[in-house]
Amino acid sequence: MKKFTKIGALALASALTVSVVAATSPASAATCAKRTNVTMLGTIKTEIKDQFQAAVKKYNTSQKCYTLKTIIGDSKLTFLQNITPMYAAKNAPTISYTLQEIPNMADKVLDLKNTKLAKLVSPGLLAAANVGGKQVGVPSTAEAFGLLYNKKVLDAAGINPASIKTRTDLENAFKTLQAKGKKAVHFSAIWWSLGAHFTNIYHASSAKTHEGRLAVLDSLSDGNKNLTTDPVWKNWLATFDLLKKYNGSEANLTDTEYDASITDLASGDYGFLFQGNWTEPNLMTAAAGTDFGIMNLPISTSATAYGNDSIPVGVPGYFMIDAKQSTKAEQAGALDFLTWLYTSAAGQHFVADPVTKGGMGFIPVYSGFKVQPATFMAREIAKYVAAGKTLEWINTYYPAGLQETVGKVSMQQYFTDKISSADLAKAIQDAWKGSTKTWRGESA
Amino acid sequence: MPSARATKRFLKFALVPLAIFSMVLVVPFANGFYLTFTNWDGFESSKFVGFSNYTKSFQDPTFWATLRFTTLFVVVSLILVNVVAFGLALIVTSKLRSRNVLRTFFFVPNLIGGVILGVIWQFIFNSAITSLAKKYGWTLFEQSWLNDTNKAFWALIIVTVWQSSGYMMIVYITGLISIENDVLEASQIDGASPLRTLLSIKIPLMAQAFTIALFLTLRSGFMAYDVNVALTGGGPFRTTELISMHIFQDAFANGNFGTGQSKAVIMFLMVAGAALLQVSVSKRLEVQR
Repeated sequence: MKKFTKIGALALASALTVSVVAATSPASAATCAKRTNVTMLGTIKTEIKDQFQAAVKKYNTSQKCYTLKTIIGDSKLTFLQNITPMYAAKNAPTISYTLQEIPNMADKVLDLKNTKLAKLVSPGLLAAANVGGKQVGVPSTAEAFGLLYNKKVLDAAGINPASIKTRTDLENAFKTLQAKGKKAVHFSAIWWSLGAHFTNIYHASSAKTHEGRLAVLDSLSDGNKNLTTDPVWKNWLATFDLLKKYNGSEANLTDTEYDASITDLASGDYGFLFQGNWTEPNLMTAAAGTDFGIMNLPISTSATAYGNDSIPVGVPGYFMIDAKQSTKAEQAGALDFLTWLYTSAAGQHFVADPVTKGGMGFIPVYSGFKVQPATFMAREIAKYVAAGKTLEWINTYYPAGLQETVGKVSMQQYFTDKISSADLAKAIQDAWKGSTKTWRGESA
Repeated sequence: MPSARATKRFLKFALVPLAIFSMVLVVPFANGFYLTFTNWDGFESSKFVGFSNYTKSFQDPTFWATLRFTTLFVVVSLILVNVVAFGLALIVTSKLRSRNVLRTFFFVPNLIGGVILGVIWQFIFNSAITSLAKKYGWTLFEQSWLNDTNKAFWALIIVTVWQSSGYMMIVYITGLISIENDVLEASQIDGASPLRTLLSIKIPLMAQAFTIALFLTLRSGFMAYDVNVALTGGGPFRTTELISMHIFQDAFANGNFGTGQSKAVIMFLMVAGAALLQVSVSKRLEVQR
């Protein structure tokens, strides 16, 4: 079912390139008897929380019916840690936002299938939040991860990212950088990068079709997958080793690592960083005037191998509206806010304009966007998407807690040479064994 | 037999505190205990599952590893915190001129919240010490202590001792200054050395302070959470997760609310058992004046 990524990619391409004049009526100009308070847990991400809060403020002054209040929550805690006490206290936030925990939330939220927003998104980008035919959430944006690069450094070393098509090419580029006195790559040991994103490189390349990739998850859950004999796994492992070998930074297993990795790439001492486009606002703030790009991480030595020329593009999270503890007015307000954010001119400014202009720098996934992303990395992602060179985010289907178990333990252990590659394969197999097949609609 | 009047008087004074106590402690505790026998998923529970949550908890090898690690942490931190605190108390009750400044100085770390403290020390271990070590060639500190299980354990101990010894110092100061001067003077006249005075006079007469301080450190050792989360985050490789953090992770990160809650009940029984044992032993060592 290659269709899955194709449809998503096509819609994304049209959303990026075609500018349709959207009917952007200001959100409910009607006067209301009194304002309804609508709560939302979190600010989508911490990186753009100021910009998001500015959007909320603008929304609250733009109409007279609803006051949106964000509950910051504790960013150190997981989504479940934040939301379960609120449900237990019968004080559930009307809007919640997450990805992995969608199966846990599916029976507590509204079906958004027939909303204006859902109709503006392609089925491919809605799929991960479609649980048994119920559209439990609508997407925030599309994100990509892969090898980020500092364009100034690569230009100075005479490296053209487009010419890196195989793992061998990548190693040569690393060697060239080192010969120029630069550090090749900052390969971050931060657990979520390893546990969710780096493992996804294997899962997304594990089969050519969507169905084939889910079958790999099935066999992992059933406990009859042997990773060590899988040629894609071997290539992935060789890439892991390659990145470790040319890693210019020291392994740091704590939270301070994320900021350090951004500082390193921005400083101009490093050529590459394995991360995602959500770091672009921080990179641009740290090194104004420098372009930061994104490219594929080729794991195979064959240029034509599946996935070698592609980057994983997916939806990082979905907005959900509570159906159990919120009033009709609160639910209407939640939908009104989200519709305003993604369809009105004022809202779109906050969504898609770069951070330098006060926006969140999101890549639009709703058709009819008048504001188009202008940053270098966003344009590069658009090119990958337009060329159909995208990989799936299989990490969307990881069971709750798996990326933590794998990322914090076995991946970090292999990263710091505490265990062998066979141990790593076994640890990942064990972590998956017996997990609920939410990707087959089994309830969590 | 309590008369109706006595009951009435009791209720008049105790009703409000009793009601609050029941609401914030007894009821949640009973409810939590009840939930361990159900298939609770964090949101709601629909059926009884017997003891299966407890069996699953005991079958979890990481739970046993956490128990071992927590026990080690409690024992080491208990000893070090109290030794350091008692030492500090002796210093600041001596005839030093700067003793009042020092009291404040030693107590201040206790006023900093655990999370902030963890973040500060994370910076010290990850960046400050490592960069100094590279400059001056201290091989022991060149790698961040938080990347290694054994060193991360000592990092936890150092921060815990630094944070809580000031507080325990106050308890010991109270004990030391409550000893009557005439007893000390009598021992001086009898020619007791300072060490003999400390061992035979001061310590037995302030055994109560030890009971309190040991109980407090035992309890806080078992319950330690904020420093654990903020400093090591359970890392490296989830080997420095203390029991509170393990329970929190199991319930809220992995979504295993049933086993998480039953582990919390097991933890309660352990802490209660250890505390009862410790208090009954220390009580026996106290002397009546």
